Amino acid sequence: MTDTEIIKLILQGDKEKFTILVAQYQLLVFRTCMGFLHDKDDADDLTQDVFIHAYQSLSRFRGDAAFSTWLYRIAVNASLNKIRKSPLMLIRQQFSNFSDDKKERERAVSITDGEDPEKILIRDEHIKWVRKALDSLPENQRIAIVLSKYDDLSQKEIAEIMNTTEGAVEALLQRAKKTLRKKLSAQRKN
Amino acid sequence: MQKRPFAKNYQLKEKINRSAVGKNKVLFLTIKTVKMNCQLCQKEFDAYRQGKLPHDMMTQVESHLKTCKICAGIYRQQILAERIIKGEKELQPDPFLTTRVMAQIDKLDDEQYKSAPSFIKVLKPVLLSTSMAAAVAFGILIGNLPYSGSEREKIPVELTLIDDAAIESVDVFANE
Repeated sequence: MTDTEIIKLILQGDKEKFTILVAQYQLLVFRTCMGFLHDKDDADDLTQDVFIHAYQSLSRFRGDAAFSTWLYRIAVNASLNKIRKSPLMLIRQQFSNFSDDKKERERAVSITDGEDPEKILIRDEHIKWVRKALDSLPENQRIAIVLSKYDDLSQKEIAEIMNTTEGAVEALLQRAKKTLRKKLSAQRKN
Repeated sequence: MQKRPFAKNYQLKEKINRSAVGKNKVLFLTIKTVKMNCQLCQKEFDAYRQGKLPHDMMTQVESHLKTCKICAGIYRQQILAERIIKGEKELQPDPFLTTRVMAQIDKLDDEQYKSAPSFIKVLKPVLLSTSMAAAVAFGILIGNLPYSGSEREKIPVELTLIDDAAIESVDVFANE
């Protein structure tokens, strides 16, 4: 059964069919949310919100693009809205010193398993730099990087989601990499 | 000796036109040289990591990373960034996500259903009493309709002339 057929059935009242779409696309939405929020619990909550929003506006899905493209757009907008609306998240992303919670430390340690504590601390600091640099990218560059690196999408697919051309996406990715290098080298100099 | 850089990818191909020593022989030599700096090295990080660079370029980037601490640091951070992304990508969503989503959808649908009766609660008695009043009024209207003149004309004239008082009672025939 195709996505369009499933959507047709849901709109006719068979809402249980929505479970098929959730099961099929949950990883895609979760990864996108993770790329923007970097926190599993927040990403889980946002993934749920994205699917509920998609269900509620299913009648507005015209089928011009693939359902996944439509879902990506909702996920990206929801993530950006969450970051913009939540001052705490904005502060946490701007000053990533706040984010050295237990989970993050565990993740950092898992990367550096077997190293001495001093090296782990230095690496932990580097992780903060990198995350800060990623989060401080301009919005469009950030969307392109998240869709490219987290969702492994091609430039063509990213262009469709962002409603732009492949050339523009290529330029965005190049600029994002350049900005990241600049930010990382500036942090090193500091 | 004349230097003519013409190749892309920061490789200078120099065509050296040298007069050979003795006997008017001309010898053409092609020498490849690569000029590496921080900017170029950083630009080739991705290709270097993926092993997509030509052998001589790989060597150049490698030797630059050994000597330049800044580039080496940025390269390490780039690797770290990729590891962070890889780590985050490996995370899986909540296994009960589907259940949670469907429960939330059911809840929303219930709320919509509950919010609808509150409107109907007001409208229902109004509609019911109005329809009952309309039915009663229609009945009264039907009952009070006068007979039309055309129906009266259909009664034969003979019948209208019959004098009820002059007709003998049926009991008279019964007694006989």
